[in-house]
Formats: sequence, C-alpha cells, structure tokens
Amino acid sequence: MKIRTILTLGTLVIALALISWWMGEQSYTWFPPQASAESQLIDRLFSFLVAIGTFIFLGVVGTIVYVALFQQAGKYDTSDGPHIEGNVTLEVVWTAIPFILVVGIAAYSYHIYDRISILGPMEHVHGSMAHNMASETPAIAPVSTEANDSNAIVKSEVVIAVKSRQWAWEFYYPDRQVTTAELHLPADQRISLQLTSEDVIHGFYVPAFRVKQDIIPGRAITLKFTPIREGRYRLRDSQYSGTYFAAMQADVVVESDDSYQQWLTDAANQKPTAAYNQAFDEFQRSPGGRIGWQTVQPAPPPLVNYPGKGTS
Amino acid sequence: MNPTETDLRDDASPAITEAHGDAHHAAHGHGSPGDQMFGFVIFLLSESVIFFSFFAGYIVYKTTAQTWLPEGVLGLEVREPAINTVILVSSSFTIYLAERYLHIKQLWGFRAFWLLTIAMGSYFLYGQAIEWSHLAFGFTDGVFGGTFYLLTGFHGLHVFAGVLLQLIMLVRSFIPGNYDRGEFGVASTSLFWHFVDVIWIILFLLIYIWQ
Amino acid sequence: MPGAPNDWQRFFSFSTDHKVIGIQYLVTSFFFFLVGGIFAMIIRGELITPESDLVDRTVYNAMFTMHGTVMLFLWTFPCLLGLGNYLVPLMIGARDMAFPRLNAIAFWMVPVFGTILMASFLVPGGPAQAGWWAYPPVSLQNPTGNLINGQMLWLLAVAISGVSSIMGAVNFVTTIARMRAPGMTWFRMPVFVWTVLAAQIIQLFGLPALTAGAVMLLLDLTVGTTFFDPAKGGDPVLFQHFFWFYSHPAVYVIILPIFGIFSEVLPVYARKPLFGYKVVAISSLIITGLSAIVWVHHMFASGTPGWMRMVFMATTMLISVPTGIKVFAWVATIWGGKLRLSTAMLFALGGLVMFVFSGITGIMLAAVPVDIHVNNTYFVVGHFHYVIYGAVVMGIYAAIYHWFPKMTGRMYSEGLGKLHFALTFIGTNLNFFPMHPLGLQGMPRRVASYDPEFTFWNVVASLGAFLLGMSTLPFILNMIGSWVQGEKAPKNPWRAIGLEWLLSSPPTVENFEELPIVVSEPYGYGKSDPLVSNPDELEVAHEPN
Repeated sequence: MKIRTILTLGTLVIALALISWWMGEQSYTWFPPQASAESQLIDRLFSFLVAIGTFIFLGVVGTIVYVALFQQAGKYDTSDGPHIEGNVTLEVVWTAIPFILVVGIAAYSYHIYDRISILGPMEHVHGSMAHNMASETPAIAPVSTEANDSNAIVKSEVVIAVKSRQWAWEFYYPDRQVTTAELHLPADQRISLQLTSEDVIHGFYVPAFRVKQDIIPGRAITLKFTPIREGRYRLRDSQYSGTYFAAMQADVVVESDDSYQQWLTDAANQKPTAAYNQAFDEFQRSPGGRIGWQTVQPAPPPLVNYPGKGTS
Repeated sequence: MNPTETDLRDDASPAITEAHGDAHHAAHGHGSPGDQMFGFVIFLLSESVIFFSFFAGYIVYKTTAQTWLPEGVLGLEVREPAINTVILVSSSFTIYLAERYLHIKQLWGFRAFWLLTIAMGSYFLYGQAIEWSHLAFGFTDGVFGGTFYLLTGFHGLHVFAGVLLQLIMLVRSFIPGNYDRGEFGVASTSLFWHFVDVIWIILFLLIYIWQ
Repeated sequence: MPGAPNDWQRFFSFSTDHKVIGIQYLVTSFFFFLVGGIFAMIIRGELITPESDLVDRTVYNAMFTMHGTVMLFLWTFPCLLGLGNYLVPLMIGARDMAFPRLNAIAFWMVPVFGTILMASFLVPGGPAQAGWWAYPPVSLQNPTGNLINGQMLWLLAVAISGVSSIMGAVNFVTTIARMRAPGMTWFRMPVFVWTVLAAQIIQLFGLPALTAGAVMLLLDLTVGTTFFDPAKGGDPVLFQHFFWFYSHPAVYVIILPIFGIFSEVLPVYARKPLFGYKVVAISSLIITGLSAIVWVHHMFASGTPGWMRMVFMATTMLISVPTGIKVFAWVATIWGGKLRLSTAMLFALGGLVMFVFSGITGIMLAAVPVDIHVNNTYFVVGHFHYVIYGAVVMGIYAAIYHWFPKMTGRMYSEGLGKLHFALTFIGTNLNFFPMHPLGLQGMPRRVASYDPEFTFWNVVASLGAFLLGMSTLPFILNMIGSWVQGEKAPKNPWRAIGLEWLLSSPPTVENFEELPIVVSEPYGYGKSDPLVSNPDELEVAHEPN
C-alpha cells in the first residue's frame, strides 16, 4: 500500500513536471517576435516562470478538484471529518519551500536583469544615481551581442532623440539632422534613445523589443537596447496620456546597416512635410461632431523629413 | 469555580476583562472612556502618517528639486519662529500642569493653567500669521513655497483645532458634575496638544534649521 | 424581523445597530457594483472592435476611470466593511461596535461621496478621465478651465472616502482589541476577525499617504501650487509614490477579509478544522507588515533606479510566502473532509482556484525583466481582475450565501445559487483569461482602439464580460425572492461553529442578552467540545414566530 502511494505520487510528480516543462517551451510562442537581444533573455525568464507556475497551479488546483469530486459527503452523512488542527512538519515544509523558491526566482531575475543592464557602458553611471536621477536611469540597457564575441568590433552607439507630446512621436537623428515620424534602427547595433516629453508622462514601448520606459516631462531619460531582427514593428505609448492615448503609435523599422544609412541619406535630402497624425486627424475631422467632452487639443502633426509609410 | 472560569482567567488578557466591564456602554451610542482613548490614540497614529507623508515629500523636493528657493528668496528668518517654538513647546508643560490640577480636583488651578495654554497656543497662531504676512513668496512660488505653506498651514490648522477643543473643555469645566464620568475630554485634548507639539518640533527642524 | 413590512424603514434610517449598518453597506455597495458593471459593459462594448466607434474617446476614458474608482471605493471597500460590520461584533461576542454612532456616520458618508462622484457626469467637461491612479500631469490638465471639474470632484470624493474609511478603521481596531467576550482570547478569534484587523491596520497607516497626495493634487488643480507640475518644477513621480504607498496595500485591504471568508467557509462545508489556524492568523499580520514595503513594483518602468527595482522585487516576492502558506492551509483543510458543495462552498473553491492563478501571474509580474515588458499592458489588467473578481467578488458571494440565513432569517435557493456560480465562474475566466495573451502580445491597458491583430482575444473577453453582466440576474432574483418568501432559517442551518450561529436568525438588536463565555478554540469540527459555557443564556427564550 505504502509503496503504491509513493509510486502513484512519483508518477504524478513526473507527469506534472513534464507538462510544466512543455508549457514553459510553449510560452515562447505567446510573445511577439524576438526583435532585440534583450527579448531572448526575458523570454527565457518568463518561460522558466511559466514552467514553475504550471507545476504549482496544476498541483494545487488538481488537489482541490480531486477533493471536490471524490471526497464529498454522502447524502445523509452528517458526520464530521477527522479533527486535524495542523501538522508542524508540513507547515514548516510549505513555508520553507516557497521561501527558497522565491529567493531562487528573485536571484534568477536579478541575474537576467544584470545581464541586460550591466553588459555595456551603462554600468559607469551607476554611481551618480543618487544625485541626478534625471540623466541616467537605465531602463533596460542592452545586451551587447558583440560583447560575447571577442572578434567583433565594438561599434559605437546610435544616438536618436525621441520626442513625445500629446499625441505624436517624433524622432531626431542628430548626426544627420533628420527628423522623422517613423523610427528606423540599424540591426545589431546598440541604440541609445534620449527620451523627452513636452507635456505629460508617456511611455516608450516596443513589444517586439520587450523594452518599456516611462518618459517623465522635465527629464531626459536614456534607454538602450540592441535590435537584432529586421522587420517592421509597433511603438506604442504605454503610459496613459489622455484623450487620444490609444492613437499614439508609430512604426519602428529595423534594417541592415546599409539600408539604414541609405534611408538616412535619402531622408536628409527631403523637404520637411507634415506627417500623418491620427489624433490630430480625428480631432480635425470631427470637432463639432464629437459626442464627447472637451479635450486637450492634439498637437499639430510634426514637420518631418521622413513622414513614414504607415498611415495609421 | 468551574473549570471554565479558571480557563478564562488563565488566557484572558487584561483588555478582555476590561472589555467585559465596558460592554454595556456599547449599545448606547459611544464606547467606554477606555475605548474612546484607545480609539483616539490610533486615530492620532494614523493622522501622524499624513504629516510624515508631507515631511517625506518635503525631503524629496529639497534634495532633488533643481530650483528650490524662489528667485530673490535667500532663506527663512529663524529668530521669530524660534520664539514661537519655545512658546508652543512650553505650552505642553502648562497643559500638563493643568491636567495634574484637575487630577487632584483643584478646578481653579486647572482653569488657570488651561487658560494659559490657550493663550500660548493663540500667540503661536498670531506669530505664524505675522510671519506669513511678511514673507516674500507665496504658495504658488515653486515647490518650496508650496511645501512651506502646506506644512505650516496644515499644522496651523491642527493648532487651531487644538485651541478650539481647549476652549470647549474650559467652558465645560463650569458644568457641575462634568468630570463624574471621567476626564476623557481633557485627557484627549491634552494628548492632541502634545501631538501637535511634537509634529511642530520635527517641522521646525526640517524647515527652519535644515536650510 | 427584517423583511416584515413594518420594519424595512430602519434600513433607510440613521440606525446605530451594526447589523443594520452592515446590511446598509452591503446593499449600497451592491448598487454601485451594478453601476460600475454598466461602465465595464460600455468598455467591453467599445473593445469588441479595434476602432474607437462605440463612444467618443473622452467618454471611454471617463468610463474606465469611473469603473476603477467605483469598483474600489464604492463596491469592494464598502461591501467588505458591510460584512465586517455585520460579522465582527457577532464573532467576538460583542453587542455592537465600539463606536456605534461613528459607525453610522462613516456609512452615511458612502452615499454622499458616491453622489458627488456620480454628479461629475453633469459638470461641463465630464467626469475625471485620468484613470483611477489620477497620475499628474494628465490629471492636472483640466481642458475646460473650470474650477468645478470632474477631476476636482473625483479628488473630493476620494478624500471623503478616506475620512470615512479612517473612521471605520479606528472603530474596527478598537472593537477587536477591546470588545471581545470573556474567554475570547486573541487565538480564539475566527480568522475572519484576524483578517479584518490586519486589513484595517493597513487603512490606518496607508490611507493617510493617499490623502496627503490627493490634497497636494487638489491644491495643484485648484489654487495653482506646483507640487506635481513638471513645467513649474514639480515632481510628478512623487505623486506615484504617495499613490502606490497606499494603493498597493489597498489591494490587501480587500483581499485579506476574503482570506478570512475562505477560512470560515471551507471548514464548515468540509467538516474539518482550519488547518494550521495560528499560522493562518499570524500570516495575515505578516502580510500587513510586508504590504507597506512593496509599492514601487507598480513603478518599475517609471524611471526607477536599478537598486530600487531589485529591492522591491525582493519584497514583492517575499509577500507571496505568507500568502502561499494560507493557500496550502486551505487545501489541507478540505483534504480528507466530507465536502458538501453548497453554493457558498462552490464560490469559495472557485475563488480559491482563481486566486492561485492570480498568485502565479503575480510572481511573474514581480520579476523586473518580465514586468518591464508586461507593465501597463492587459497582462496586468488580467492579473488584477483574477484577484479582484476571481478571488474577491467570488469570495464576497461565498460570504453572502453563507451568512444570508443569518442576516435575513431566510434560506436562499440553492438552484439559483448554483446557476449563479456557473455563470460567474465561466464568465470570469472567459472575460479575464484573454487579457493575459493580449498583454504578452503588447496591448497596452486603457486604450480605446487597438491594432486588428488583437481582435480575437478582445472579442472573447467582451463576450465573457457580457456573460458576467448576465450572471448577476439570478443572484438578484435569488436575494430578493428568498428574502421576501424564502424558507424560514433556523439558528444554524449549516451546523457551523461560531458565536453568530448560536443566535437566532437574524439576531436581536443587542445580539447577546448575556455575554458568551468562550471556552474553546474556533473550528472544533470533528470534536464535540462546546464553544461557550452558557449557550442557553445568550438569548431570552421566546416562542418562535
């Protein structure tokens, strides 16, 4: 009997572990494409958490369902269950194991965070943090893929200014003095964004990069990361910014260094034009027709060298 | 004695036995004096968190703000507020003396020191008003102006409430048999006054001394 | 008897009876639950298509702002205060709360600030549209320029709510500390009382911080101070600290009494004592302590320095330990029991299952690198609603069904109750599960329109929401019908152990004619020890009517 119990339990645990591992593997498919170096690390951490979480969830909920199905009182059974007030050993065990588990999770999360933020020049600014939060605040700093490969030439950062206002994104490439409404980034290079806001708090969020940073008006915040996969992605405002918050989006294009340089040169030769801006457009189209309340007026569309392909 | 009551005595904390005695008051609108004092103390603890939140805000602003003092303002005058502080802190002693007199049933001694406390509290408010009227900045002048008026104003409101409470207690001391059911009113007013004093000391150190 | 035609007026009067006030809280809060639910229906109606087409964006923004505000300040808080009001004095053997008049005043402030909040629909510019966090500078923008505006009324309502809550907290803590019956030692208190105590202590130390922040915001908005206005040297992030210092613990103010409800309901219908009573009781206070040092996990993306992120990640992870202890204790409580799956039990078990799910997503959110991706996305909304609907609302329903016979003197209909449970359980999962994949895919919260790639899960969520809206109908029918003409309830229909079950249903105005003398531990299932030594003297004998 006892051996049977142990065998049953053992089989259950192994089955649970296998299902949990499988769920952990599945979790990679729940995300947008991994378009930055950071995203690989973050997805790995998430997968680990999903596996652990699945194990706990199935263990606890499986027990509850089992009890609810198979340990019901008979129709005319009014007797009580056994009078068990507790079990010190058991209670110590289920305090200690979760404690060790969360310490482990915290340590692993720290390790991932560390790899994201330390592998790069960001580490130098840590000391000045207390005095001037404004200028540094690493959000997610980059994993430099080059750092792992000693043969690669360490390229310099690509610095781009990101200006946000209600409700438009504007990007400025200081090297070529180019202003755009679409964010173009060269692949496999560290990007350093200087985030500023003219009015309220906005949030810079590109799901495919797994990076997010609130933009606090009155501060210049640096955000660093490394895109690694070419393609067109979405930038969304992630901190609620008022009436047209949902419309404050822009396209992000990651391309090879060559086409990035070509694009930049082309853009520099173009005359500034007004980019399409959804918030402004909506507001203009129906100033009297809106059945809503008074709103802060959207800023006029920014004049840019490159208005972008997307119309929304 | 049956085992039940032995059991009771072993386990029960003093609070329980007290609660037993007080319980009959409960159904008639307000708790016993002991409950009232207990409730008042936790209320004051909670109230102090508002002040600590403001203090925390003040410290954050002072240490991080890019422009702290408004243009043309060099700092705060300390001498007058220091005199004010001495008066307010001393009034904690006079109110204590008043309480002692009440405890030994000397009503006139109580009233004399109580009135003195009221006078000192009122002088503090007067001094505060004078100081405000001579300042070169207003509450819209940056976070310094804002926090200064917020802290001193919110505290001043408490002093004002304390003086009002003291006046009520003074009037009520003339009602015959007022203290037959305990001295909760006087005791809680006095406790409130000490609270207001302690808050002022912290406030004075933060605003005037740490410039 | 409540329900008798000549007696219903007292529920509309300034009564100081904690039982009347308890029911006043419950009914008022349920009314606002329906109001907040209508807002939610409008939100989900808008989100069933990607475009902003059902209502104007300003209306949508007002809807989610008011939905959050109403559901927290006018539904969960007052509802749990109502349950606490009704049950705590009965459970500790007191005749009333320590300060009955204060109790009544605190209650009557609820309809007052509820009315102020609703009145903001009538002012030019409409209600507050800055979200229930009211982050400046958005909350300071005030496009109409009027002094009386939605945001201002919102702040006023929150401030009054704060005063009312502090009154309630002082009352509860004093009552629990000083009004316990003879023999009702700390470790004989039912866990529900422990959790109410733990929750109200949070109110005492946390709420003043929100009040401080709200006062400063109100001054910024009305008289022109510059505390949070970055254009004039203010610091908007400081408000976030004030706000979350209270508003994260506020979630514990809500969930702790639900832990208490689970701890009361599960033993009764499993016929077993609560497993590890003392540990469960103490862990509530540990949660109270830890809840004061986790708030920054809401601000991982707000420009928070790295060291602060790590510290608050650690504290947040830590708080899951006492919570986990409770979950394991509940599972051990029902294990090997003799379960009766009444409506109350089903709600408690269903709530427990969803709480476990939300706990796991909570750990994921605590991990900073993951949080940076899903912060301010629908993943957080999903997590939060699994807590607040999955665990809290289900727990509240469990409590209402469990104590319904005690409160009204009538039995409820099990059939309707089980229908209500099925609709609620399915609706909750259908509504809130899809939010997790949406968040992982990168859909920000609070959007009125979204990219078409998110359509599928949003449609599922909206259908779930409409099902949830419908699920309240059998509940309302059951409550009103049973109260009016349900079967008469005996003293103790569930054979439960607890002081409240020794009294008639409903108890008399003074509860106990003679104070009970408690002689044994709570949850004595499977043992035949008497709970009190004077069970026959608690009430004046009267003929059953």
